[in-house]
Amino acid sequence: MLTIKTHLYSSFIIYWDIQSIALLAIVILMVCLLSFMLLYLLVKAGHEKKHTYWRSKSDTLIHKAVFDDEEKIDDMFIEETLGSDNLKKNRYFRKILTEEIISAKKNISGAAADNLIDLYRLFELDKYAIRNLNHLKWYIRAKAIHELTTMQISELVDHLHLFINDPNEYVRMEAQSALVQFNGFEGLSFLDTIAYPISDWQQIKLLQLLSHLPPSSIDTTPWFESKNSSVAVFALKLARNYNRFEQHDAIAKCLDHSDAKVRLEAILCLNEIYTDETSDHLIGRFLKESLKHQLAMIRVMQTLGTERDILFLTDLLNHESDQLKLDAARALAHASNNGMAALEAYSEQSEQDITEIVMHIKREMSV
Amino acid sequence: MKILVAEDDQLMVKMLEFRLKKDGHDVVISHDGREAVGKLDEFKPDLVITDIMMPYLSGLEVVSAVKKKYPKGTPVIILSGMGQENVVLEAFQLGADDYMTKPFSPNELSVRVRRFDLTLAK
Amino acid sequence: MSWQTFLLHVFTYGILVYSMILLTFYLLIGAFSILETRSYLHKNSFTDYRMLASSTEAPTMSILAPAYNEGPTIIENVRSLLSLHYNNLDLIVINDGSKDDTLEQLIKAYDLYKADFYVTQLIKTKKVNGIYRSHNPVYRKLTVVDKENGGKADALNVGINIARSDYFVCIDVDCVLEQDAILKLAKPFLESSTHRVIAAGGVVRVANSCEIEGGRLVKVHLPKKFLPRIQTLEYIRAFLLSRMAWTRLNGLLLISGAFGAFDREIVINCGGYHTDTVGEDMELVVRMRRYMEEREEPYKVGFIPDPLCWTEAPSSYRILGRQRNRWTRGTIETLRSHKKMFFNPNYGILGMLSYPYWFFFEFLAPIIEFLGTIGIIIYFFTYAINWSAVVIMIGVICIGILYSIFAILMEVLTYNQYKQRKDILKLVLVAILEPFIFHPFVVWSAVLGNISLLRKQNSWGEMTRQGFAANKNPR
Repeated sequence: MLTIKTHLYSSFIIYWDIQSIALLAIVILMVCLLSFMLLYLLVKAGHEKKHTYWRSKSDTLIHKAVFDDEEKIDDMFIEETLGSDNLKKNRYFRKILTEEIISAKKNISGAAADNLIDLYRLFELDKYAIRNLNHLKWYIRAKAIHELTTMQISELVDHLHLFINDPNEYVRMEAQSALVQFNGFEGLSFLDTIAYPISDWQQIKLLQLLSHLPPSSIDTTPWFESKNSSVAVFALKLARNYNRFEQHDAIAKCLDHSDAKVRLEAILCLNEIYTDETSDHLIGRFLKESLKHQLAMIRVMQTLGTERDILFLTDLLNHESDQLKLDAARALAHASNNGMAALEAYSEQSEQDITEIVMHIKREMSV
Repeated sequence: MKILVAEDDQLMVKMLEFRLKKDGHDVVISHDGREAVGKLDEFKPDLVITDIMMPYLSGLEVVSAVKKKYPKGTPVIILSGMGQENVVLEAFQLGADDYMTKPFSPNELSVRVRRFDLTLAK
Repeated sequence: MSWQTFLLHVFTYGILVYSMILLTFYLLIGAFSILETRSYLHKNSFTDYRMLASSTEAPTMSILAPAYNEGPTIIENVRSLLSLHYNNLDLIVINDGSKDDTLEQLIKAYDLYKADFYVTQLIKTKKVNGIYRSHNPVYRKLTVVDKENGGKADALNVGINIARSDYFVCIDVDCVLEQDAILKLAKPFLESSTHRVIAAGGVVRVANSCEIEGGRLVKVHLPKKFLPRIQTLEYIRAFLLSRMAWTRLNGLLLISGAFGAFDREIVINCGGYHTDTVGEDMELVVRMRRYMEEREEPYKVGFIPDPLCWTEAPSSYRILGRQRNRWTRGTIETLRSHKKMFFNPNYGILGMLSYPYWFFFEFLAPIIEFLGTIGIIIYFFTYAINWSAVVIMIGVICIGILYSIFAILMEVLTYNQYKQRKDILKLVLVAILEPFIFHPFVVWSAVLGNISLLRKQNSWGEMTRQGFAANKNPR
């Protein structure tokens, strides 16, 4: 017993050296983190007062500029508002003012918005942003493009070609948005060459930007052939949003595209752009598609289905997927004036019970 | 004219208030949908201007509450960042009288408000 | 060497090695979390979410809100859910056989009628008694489902069957969401063009002592009571550090059942939530990941660090103990049914890192800690104080505190929800107290969870009766 004990103590001494050092290191680290946090909080609290002051100044500037659009925004105006304070050179103040101008600009248009742009320029915020375009950090580059685009500073356009193939996705995205913002539909020419995929998020954003412009009769068919399938998807969305009816055949051709995403988008696109033959295209492709795409097709049939499709849709009421059955019944009911009758007739003669489906459709149609 | 404004963005609130007061209107502000509906009885506005995306109650619910309370009078102007067709259609179906999308021009708003003033004066 | 010495050595070195690995993980988690959080915040600094709110091109989302005996609060909660900012959104409230007047209240407040509705059985569920829709067009986004009681998983499955959206968001109906919660949660699904995003999780924060009005968070306060306060720290640590780091590695295994979004198609293909486990939220994510791995499709699980969902944390030891007991059982059940992936290189990060991490540091940690403590006590009484083991233990405790302090620092540097310096100091104090007061209780509850699972005490029935509040796993 005693021997074990001595052994224990000797081993304790060996452990102690390594362990005590480790323990000490941990404790020191803990103290460091804590003091860093406290220091940070203290510094921040110190800044808080100044920040509130700057914020109130920047509020006053913006309110004056926006509320009264007859106000002339010049150095006089700044001096009247800010007094002798030379805040132009203050980094923090610039940051606050920029943020507030940007967020105000997004809400306001017309003469008041022009005043905001004047204010932005007067503080030379555009110069700082243009300088930031070459910053090493991607988020500063992206933010600068975003800012200049929002403030409609056209000097940006000369720089944009630099960013179309920027290694960072977010910089590219901002550059694309800027191109569309400044050049409208012509700005979309970057789609001809872009090698990177365009995310759904970016597609939504571009469509949103374009929606503020007068509609265009842009020909999107060349992009359907793009090797970059996200470009094809986007081109289909454009065709749908701008009702490019004459592109119908090219869109229908996309139903055979090798990329499933493009095929799905083509199906959705046909919901808006269709002719008498569209349903034949869909039916021809139907069996080759996954359930997800089949469901999308049936939903499209609801819009463009006709008398001729009643047989096809009635057949689907036997389908193994409940979801598809329901959608087929709905498409059938909408297909023609006889659709509902066909659905009810099927319900009566068929062995399977679809009364619930019929009731569901009737309820929907009565709302 | 007595105007009730429902809008949650601080800057927008201030600027609407300033603009409408300058045009000679009486303005009451509410920062969310619930507050706006609550103020209907007390303030009895001649016109309501509301955002759509607001806390508690959406602007569409404000429209439907106003129209329920004053089936004939009290026009509602919607001032929203949402400009897509289905929302606009829904707003009008619920009884909204005018629809403006953000970014909006204060001058334009001022003219649109005046239009409702004239119709009331007739 | 006598067997006692041998055992002592195994014991000490075992614990030493284990702590070293744990420390390494802490360091890595800290580092990865910093990287991921930074890049998220940078991205967010110029993201315009309003663009998505007002777009018709935005994907369709359904909120699934299971409700069980929520009568007193259901009206307010549904109202606040209906006012969330997202255009292509609908809300499905699933009344899971409540015994109170939840359904009647909803019918009255939202002018509902029983609608003819064909419920597809994509996932098999308990019987649906009726579907309710509103006469009032303002509430056209609302669907209320009345069904037989079957627990949260079953209720969610019914919601999945009824929804027609691309994605669904499952929430606890008593949670308070920020207005832009859905916008932020939708973004990860749209961002990636190379990987399919199958699910996205959000942060859950502790709402105790916060000012809540009409189903909305008005002002954030640090919880006044000790237990919720310590859970505040726990949630910050789990969400801001651990989940962020795992997201960076694309190895996230758990999305909180209280707030997460899922790709509906993949969930259906996987067969929906399993109703035979108490850890249905974790089990589903693991199963979805496994499904994608087996089909060799590139995929991701996203995570949003913004504080978007606030919930009441248990404030009594009894309820907390029961909750932790359940989490332990859920973890073990999930690990057991997917044991095929354990160190299986075919499953990539999932098999080689995520699963083993959960096995050793979530499942085994409480057991090892428990046995270790007992070991030290036994040695203390029989042979001698095993100093080295004690020193290691102190070390482990210090590392734990360090990790907590680091988490608080991250919170201060990022979202800084607790504005007063006093509150931060209180959190630090809690971090120091935690290993002595709170942690042993958590370990003990986990051990009890193991025991009750061993005894095959499947308390599923009990849980259905209790409803499913307080099942918001933050780890």
